[in-house]
Amino acid sequence: MTCRQALRLALALLERLVPDSDPLAGDLLEEFERRQSSVWFWSQVLAAIATALFAQGVEIRPLRLVELQPADALERSRRMNLRFHPVNLSASPVSAVGGLGLVILGSLVTLVMPGAWWLLLASALAGVVLGIIIIGVRDQSSPAGPASRTPSIRAR
Amino acid sequence: MAHRLLTDFELMILLAILRVGEEAYGVQIAREIESTGGRRVLLGAAYAALDRLERNGLVSSRIGSPTPERGGRAKRYFRVTARGVRSLRETQQALVALWRDVPQLKERLT
Repeated sequence: MTCRQALRLALALLERLVPDSDPLAGDLLEEFERRQSSVWFWSQVLAAIATALFAQGVEIRPLRLVELQPADALERSRRMNLRFHPVNLSASPVSAVGGLGLVILGSLVTLVMPGAWWLLLASALAGVVLGIIIIGVRDQSSPAGPASRTPSIRAR
Repeated sequence: MAHRLLTDFELMILLAILRVGEEAYGVQIAREIESTGGRRVLLGAAYAALDRLERNGLVSSRIGSPTPERGGRAKRYFRVTARGVRSLRETQQALVALWRDVPQLKERLT
């Protein structure tokens, strides 16, 4: 990757993650022409992203009042509930019980066959990765889309 | 009276804007703070502070024309509003009052 390509990547990240960042991006490019330091550029971009993410976390966003027909409101509520429904990889009808059973089974196996501890660890990691993939695919294919900007109040 | 006193960074930003004058934009503001205040400035943090100051009515901004050396991106110029100047005066008065007659600081000066 060339220096210019790396800078373009940094700018793309900045524009994706920091709202209204055009003037900031322009300033960074202008300063880069003077300093000629990729390290400086990347540190500025990463700091800007961190600042913006932190600011979004503490921001209190007022609820947006929109006109909703009763049917729309019910459907939206239903989708919101589904979005936060935990993924149960063991297909157990009761959340967390299936996972607990797997943990106990895995522990018993390692008691009987201590040498299999690496298998237990690899399985746990693979399960986490698979869970993340399933959640990501389901969020992408959901009509509401991934982590949409649904009105919410957040404050720390 | 202003809502609250300015933080040290907000104070520096407002003063830098006043020192730079009409053409105050991100880079100029940061350079002014670094050269006179001796403080390294992260442009992202400066913009976050400027956005906050604008929301509170202490600064106003306008978008300039895009230029090729900035990748076709425009500058965002800032100016301190009358409310911002009032806030600066109040913060200055509060700091001067706190500064006055501090024994440890008096010893260092003599």
